Amino acid sequence: MKYLFPRQPWDRALVAILVALFSGFCIFTPGFYDGFHGTLAITEEFLPFGFVALGLSVVILTGGIDLSVGSISGLAAVIMAILIKSYGLNTWLAVLLAIGAGGGLGWLNGQIITRLRVEPLIATLSTNFIYSSIAIALAGASPPYGFGPAFGELGTGALAGWVPVQLVIFIVLAIGFSGLITRTGYGRRLVMIGYNRDAAHYAGVSVASVERRAYCISGIMAAFAGIVLASYYDAVRADMGDILLLTSITMVVLGGISIFGGEGGILGVTLAVMILGVLRQGMLIAGFSDMVTTMLIGAILLSSIAIKNLFSSRGFDLGSIIRRLSSLRPPERMAPRS
Amino acid sequence: MSRTSGLLAAAGIDKRFGANSVLRNVSLSLAPGEVHTLMGENGAGKSTLFRILAGIHQPDAGQISLDGAALDLRNPSAAYGHGIYLVPQEPALLKELSVAENMFLGMLPTRGRFPSRIDWKTIRGQAQDALSALGLDVDVRDDAKHLSIAQQQLVECAKALLRGCRIILFDEPTSPLTGREVGILFAIMRRLRGQGCTLGFISHRMEEVSEISDRVSVLRDGAVTDEVGRDGFDRARLVRAMVGREVIFDRRRVRREAQGEPVLSVRGLAHAPVFSGVDFDVRPGEILGFSGLIGSGRTEIAEAVCGLRAKSGGSVMLAGRDISTSSIGDIIEAGLVYVPEDRARHGVILPMSIRDNATAGQIGRLQRKSGILNRGREIAIANDTMHRYQVRARGIDQPAGQLSGGNQQKIVFGKWMSTNPKVAILDEPTRGVDVGAKDEIYRLIEELSAQGMAIVVISSELEELIVLCDRVIAIYGGKIAAELKGADVTAARVGAAFLGAEAH
Amino acid sequence: MNSAATATSEPGHRAKPRPRRRELREVTLLVATFVVVLGVGALRPSFMSFSNIEFMVLSSVVLGLVGISQTFVIITRGIDLSVSAVLGLSAMVFGLLSTTSSMPLWQVLPLCMAMGAVLGCLNGFLVAWLKIPPIIATLGTYSLYGGLTFIYSNGLQVDQVSPDFAAFGNGNLIPFLPVPTPVLALIAVATAAWFVLNHMKFGRNILAIGNNAAAAYNAGISVRRTLLAVYTISGALAAFAGLVFVAYTGSATATTGTGDHVELQSIAIALIGGTAIAGGRGNLAGTVIGSVFLSVVITALVFLQVPAIWYSAGEGLMILAAVTLGARRSSNP
Repeated sequence: MKYLFPRQPWDRALVAILVALFSGFCIFTPGFYDGFHGTLAITEEFLPFGFVALGLSVVILTGGIDLSVGSISGLAAVIMAILIKSYGLNTWLAVLLAIGAGGGLGWLNGQIITRLRVEPLIATLSTNFIYSSIAIALAGASPPYGFGPAFGELGTGALAGWVPVQLVIFIVLAIGFSGLITRTGYGRRLVMIGYNRDAAHYAGVSVASVERRAYCISGIMAAFAGIVLASYYDAVRADMGDILLLTSITMVVLGGISIFGGEGGILGVTLAVMILGVLRQGMLIAGFSDMVTTMLIGAILLSSIAIKNLFSSRGFDLGSIIRRLSSLRPPERMAPRS
Repeated sequence: MSRTSGLLAAAGIDKRFGANSVLRNVSLSLAPGEVHTLMGENGAGKSTLFRILAGIHQPDAGQISLDGAALDLRNPSAAYGHGIYLVPQEPALLKELSVAENMFLGMLPTRGRFPSRIDWKTIRGQAQDALSALGLDVDVRDDAKHLSIAQQQLVECAKALLRGCRIILFDEPTSPLTGREVGILFAIMRRLRGQGCTLGFISHRMEEVSEISDRVSVLRDGAVTDEVGRDGFDRARLVRAMVGREVIFDRRRVRREAQGEPVLSVRGLAHAPVFSGVDFDVRPGEILGFSGLIGSGRTEIAEAVCGLRAKSGGSVMLAGRDISTSSIGDIIEAGLVYVPEDRARHGVILPMSIRDNATAGQIGRLQRKSGILNRGREIAIANDTMHRYQVRARGIDQPAGQLSGGNQQKIVFGKWMSTNPKVAILDEPTRGVDVGAKDEIYRLIEELSAQGMAIVVISSELEELIVLCDRVIAIYGGKIAAELKGADVTAARVGAAFLGAEAH
Repeated sequence: MNSAATATSEPGHRAKPRPRRRELREVTLLVATFVVVLGVGALRPSFMSFSNIEFMVLSSVVLGLVGISQTFVIITRGIDLSVSAVLGLSAMVFGLLSTTSSMPLWQVLPLCMAMGAVLGCLNGFLVAWLKIPPIIATLGTYSLYGGLTFIYSNGLQVDQVSPDFAAFGNGNLIPFLPVPTPVLALIAVATAAWFVLNHMKFGRNILAIGNNAAAAYNAGISVRRTLLAVYTISGALAAFAGLVFVAYTGSATATTGTGDHVELQSIAIALIGGTAIAGGRGNLAGTVIGSVFLSVVITALVFLQVPAIWYSAGEGLMILAAVTLGARRSSNP
């Protein structure tokens, strides 16, 4: 049990925020607490964000970024729908192929970044628009819908009648990603690259190949999120992934993974997924519009990085905060990849 | 231009970077019209002291004064205001901007009221005049990225004069320069001295120091150990002040002539225009020295051998196997490692633990089939590194960034040696470590060589090469200029080859 | 790097100054623009009609304005994704204002730019003081400003504007000169931007920061204040572009700007125009010609009946091409 309790101060703060937020909504928002089962079912509304966040964590740990996750998830879902509806493929085979397509799109991002040496930001910003054009073109005017009850179980089903399938998958994946990052050679290389790309290269790490795989993982997870969304709505739309990006990046960053790479872990990301998910659903139930929620998430993104930047290396005392705010050092980490 | 600068004095300066105490109660004064040289080993704190005088770093304690008046050097501009200018070791000209604009950076003159526009004509004229005054013939409209290092240094000099600075500090300006360029720089320094400027100078080379200096201060481990005037120059005395004990030039008299088949053999290695036609062999149990100035191509050659850098031609054989096209990971696996010179950038990953750093060179071997790391082996390797190299740390989970420079270097050393290489190339293995740690590192190198490892030591310190190496190859201008072995490995011969004097 | 080369060259005696780098990007772009115009014109003669050419130039104005400020931001090694949201907000706020109030244009204009400046100023604060990477900072404010547009519009949309707005968007300021007012505005802004970048301290400070922020700081340049000013200008120009947009088209919706991916387009034209994504080097003429080029290409796609969904893919490809070609060139000088 003692290993389950978070040891990092940042993670502990996240636990406190989650508890406070959850109890706040339970007490002040009528309709939020709908029994134990109902509350668990809320997770179905936001876990697709979490799937994307897990994949994105890997990319951000290398110090990169993937802005194309939204369009990859839309495109993968559209591909799956077409394979089922137009080609009559078996549903689960189509799901596998669509996830593979997501991996392929992520791999292409990785190729552009490592072989053409385009900055991740510019590369994935560009491919985001390319992929979404393709998705819209493939989807056509009236995208397919209705994939049968078995497929719907993925997004809305529950094990033993009360544990959402999505939640089970998310927990398994989160443990898997945590193990990948902390226990495997790949994870170690990933963190090395994030902290010090040059030192990793000198230590014999094939930086480009590790990065390519990271973007591939991110693409796979984005595609999976798209498929879960398709299952949840029992329909696809080419642009249905567009809402994923901002919230997922915020989940990763709020979870304590440094936007500069290297630092952070999956436990924090998991907590941040729950926090932002609860916040999102709670606000919707409380009657705030989607847009207000999105704005709030944008604000959380900015403040969590700002707080991290202000507190990370120096202490928490007021004097050092003032010094940091008034220090005249220019921003150093804006340098592009060499 | 004839007014003299004042007396710049630093008193009781302390400076720490994190856990490292870099300067301890240092006092120094630079008098007008003199060239005051700082000597000291790498890591002794010379550059830090100059940077404090130039307002780049702020001291933790102590005071800086000009003609007795205390100065507050909060930033470099404040230092310019008091006439102090530092010519950095690697000039930081802005590459995409013109030479003229670089010279006026931060003080571009304008004309007119509104909008007040930049007076490019004046800038170009004054910049060209300032450069001509120093005898530098470049077009000031040219982009700065086209200048050589030597030209950039002279541009920095001109920048100082344009700012009315009369106290100019040179941070090891000669290390990347050729003999001829050094001559030109010295001529300019003499002229500035004649005009009443105060010049600070850092150099390792005894000949240069005795040629140009009026006064020498020696730093060791962050403290001033000696200060002598021009008449008191004595090589042995300065070296003793630098090293802290009698010179150890003759510590190792026997230079072995290694027998057996070469374990590493390089033929025709080239990457124009950086280096070309590089042939050399290293045998088991041999310590080969690579000498040369910074910029001579020695690091580039080593990196190309180890697969870290592109090469356009040539072959590299390791124990009979061609590794010319292998990836860096495979080369380490095959038994050739390169311990980089720039520890903070290439060697150690500061935020990661000692355990992660010590095992970073062999992640592949620590992985089980499933890809999961063998934690027990990791801990064993880390503990072994801590023990064997006597690393002073709280435990293997302490972040490497919290250790002192010498201990970090031991971790880096251990990281590569624990991969059990056949050949190790050590680039400036004692850069930035204190004297005690240096001795330990020499002992380790000799121990490894005695166990049959072939070792290449790249160094610009004469003493290091003479103490350690069985054979020395001098690199000059990207080519092997000389090879010395046995009785030829003497300070004079190696020093001459180093500066290109023995080039064939 | 090229140590052998530097070791052999000597400071005092150089025979000839090297030829200065010639920037041919503007010429290449102009030629490319003409090729597209002539090529498509041969297939579809109406493409070369005066009205269509006027349309293409006019529709490049909005983008050109944003592209100019984006160029400034990219020179500092930054990026501003929030421009499209600022543009949309400005179009919505002032489009609605023009129909609901009788405020004359000359009063609206400073108000609009002030609003944009405030929004941009927040970006600058996040980047320069809180040290949030520009991409993340402006992605966050993109969602903030985009959300503001939705909340402000509250389901409304602009479908007509007051007569003096329409006159500003479509009329000619100088009676006998057949140049629409927005084009004059772009020319004025571009000229001012060029003057600032090449002949004012502020512009040179921007370039110095983009080359090496630490060295610029050491030379006494106030890095943070300069960055703040750059992002503020970016916001103000984006807001101005929104005003031009709503005046010219007479319409604005909650997805104006963001829906057209103006942020992507402005980055695209800056990079196509020859501005280095790594900072330190900018080409304003290239940006302006780039905006015309992009407008011509998009119009050509319309004439060739390529479905609109492919336009953003085309822009993405163009960015990748511009960045890749740029990188090739700088690695082999």
